[in-house]
Amino acid sequence: MIKRMIIASALVMFTLAPLGAALAAEGPGGNKRKGKYTYRKLVKACFERGAVESASPSVSPSDKKMSEWTSIFQGKDFSAFGCDEEWAAAKDKDIQDIYAYFYSFAADSPTPATCK
Amino acid sequence: MGVKDPAMGRLHIPATYIIIMILGLAWCLGLVTGLSVRTAAAETGVMGEALGMKLAKQAVKANKRWTTADHSKVDALNRDFTSGSQITEACLSCHTDASMQFEKTIHWTWRVDSEKPGIMNGKAGHAVNNFCISGNAMEDKSCLACHVGWNGVEDGVNCLNCHGGETYNYQEAFGDIQAFMGDDDPETLEIIKELQGEIKAAVKNITMPQRGHCGECHFKGGGGDGVKHGDLDTSLIKPNKMLDVHMAAEGADFTCTRCHTTVKHNIAGRLYTRPASAERKSLIQDDMATKITCESCHGTLPHTTDSKMNDHVDKVACQSCHIPAYARVNPTKMWWDWTKAGELKDGKPYSVKGEFGKPVYKSIKGEFSWDKNVQPEYFWYNGSFSNIGIKDGIDPAEIVKVSHPVGGSADPDSRIHPFKIHRGKQPYDKVNKQLVAPMLSGPNGFWSTLDMNDAITHGNKSLDVPFSGEFDYVETTYAFPITHMVAPGKNALSCEECHIRGSSRLANITDIYLPGRDKNDLLDGIGMIAVLGALFGVMLHGLGRFFTRNGKED
Repeated sequence: MIKRMIIASALVMFTLAPLGAALAAEGPGGNKRKGKYTYRKLVKACFERGAVESASPSVSPSDKKMSEWTSIFQGKDFSAFGCDEEWAAAKDKDIQDIYAYFYSFAADSPTPATCK
Repeated sequence: MGVKDPAMGRLHIPATYIIIMILGLAWCLGLVTGLSVRTAAAETGVMGEALGMKLAKQAVKANKRWTTADHSKVDALNRDFTSGSQITEACLSCHTDASMQFEKTIHWTWRVDSEKPGIMNGKAGHAVNNFCISGNAMEDKSCLACHVGWNGVEDGVNCLNCHGGETYNYQEAFGDIQAFMGDDDPETLEIIKELQGEIKAAVKNITMPQRGHCGECHFKGGGGDGVKHGDLDTSLIKPNKMLDVHMAAEGADFTCTRCHTTVKHNIAGRLYTRPASAERKSLIQDDMATKITCESCHGTLPHTTDSKMNDHVDKVACQSCHIPAYARVNPTKMWWDWTKAGELKDGKPYSVKGEFGKPVYKSIKGEFSWDKNVQPEYFWYNGSFSNIGIKDGIDPAEIVKVSHPVGGSADPDSRIHPFKIHRGKQPYDKVNKQLVAPMLSGPNGFWSTLDMNDAITHGNKSLDVPFSGEFDYVETTYAFPITHMVAPGKNALSCEECHIRGSSRLANITDIYLPGRDKNDLLDGIGMIAVLGALFGVMLHGLGRFFTRNGKED
């Protein structure tokens, strides 16, 4: 019986581990492509309000590693971006999309947002 | 007037000498002050301009561009685009032959015939260099970032690379539009609409090529800003007059195409095409002369008529004096050592930045050094280069000159010309004694695998060149002619930069006698005899007159 349980546990582990790894590689849920434009829109609104100097985002996904973006977005501490009003007004779904964008193109991601 | 007093007679001779000395001094002073006045006048324009400046102004005064077309009103451009090739189709609906012309030029093919049978020069040919090493016949996809096409060479000419009035990431926008297609979410539809609006606005903003267009590739050749040339980097997008009198807004404000004249999209001025200067035409003779040199605008007597500088122009290139240093604003890469590539830190590739904020080490590329305000090296140059290609043999015991100017003092077409010499170490085939072309980008490239042997195997295969499987590294040089970053006249080299013993800029031009720099006992002996002979003659003449006149007076 114990032998069967060990084999069953091993099978479950071998089945779930790649799935877990795949999900981890995917990063957070959300539409990263849409997140890019939502983020640009957020910065543009911030610029039009006069809170930042440029309508082009100054913070890039490749500025930090995936774990650092996770910490920022899960902690909902957006002070590094400025534009507090816009972040406060953003819908959770939009923030999740932006999170997906930053995570997917982080410095240690397979496709960082800048050239080598 | 006869002076009878012997005492007065004795005074008469020194007085003559005094008069001669005063006259001589006055002449010298006149020369010196005259020079000063001329120098000051040349700067202020009081004495009038040098002939070269007058000619240049005449040659370029007709360059007042104007257009009859407003692209924002062209129907073919007022539509939604979903791919780059659709934009090119729209351009060709009016400019019917444009891409047909362009696809015949080296800007598209990246290769030209060489004088060696079966060997093509250019990035897509058999050429190698000593920075990125090789384009591997366009198989190294990272090189294609600079190719003037949509999606490398796949989807036709991208006219907007040179004629787009604004920088816009079309590939990203088209990729996102494709990805959003089929998504009915109102927010997504809004994004698509915005992207289409941005693309349409960018496509309608058409211009003649500006410095930034050419510079996007030519300022960033070799993998980054200022890596390759030394006299071409992003500081020339908006240079001041101290950096470049021709391109500065307060100077002539030339775009690249003012000198690099263009006929049917063939752009003049490629120094590597042989012969580089078959004709030295003036722009007054032919505004579209196909080979632009300094004298195309400034003539062959560019300085004021009494200037000694005019005697230099047949042997010294204008650039030698008028570009005292290159990389005067941004640093340029001077050394690239591939032997150091592939090192890891904590099991991962890494990079280190150095003095100028530029990388001095990258695991994927090796070790570099950078420098700013660099004094050129000088060589005889007749407009041609000797090149070592992928199929040429080398002697690994020597420093291999991958590209080096051709010329000599006996060659009437040669002049002493300034160059940047990029030095480095790169791999070669130990058995076949040839340089090799490692594949850098892509899944089999060195940047992914850090396996040089494997990268050479794939790279050489793309060029159909055998690789023995054994490689080592050899030191190499690559010469780049320095011809941009022309400084104001007042910053041109002074005589003693070259005509000086010990520290002459032309120390390696050894096949000529350069006054001030060189010493020749025979020539110096003849000179000394001439000077002493003249002095002796004057003394003899004076003494003769003294004694004969004294005799008469007495």
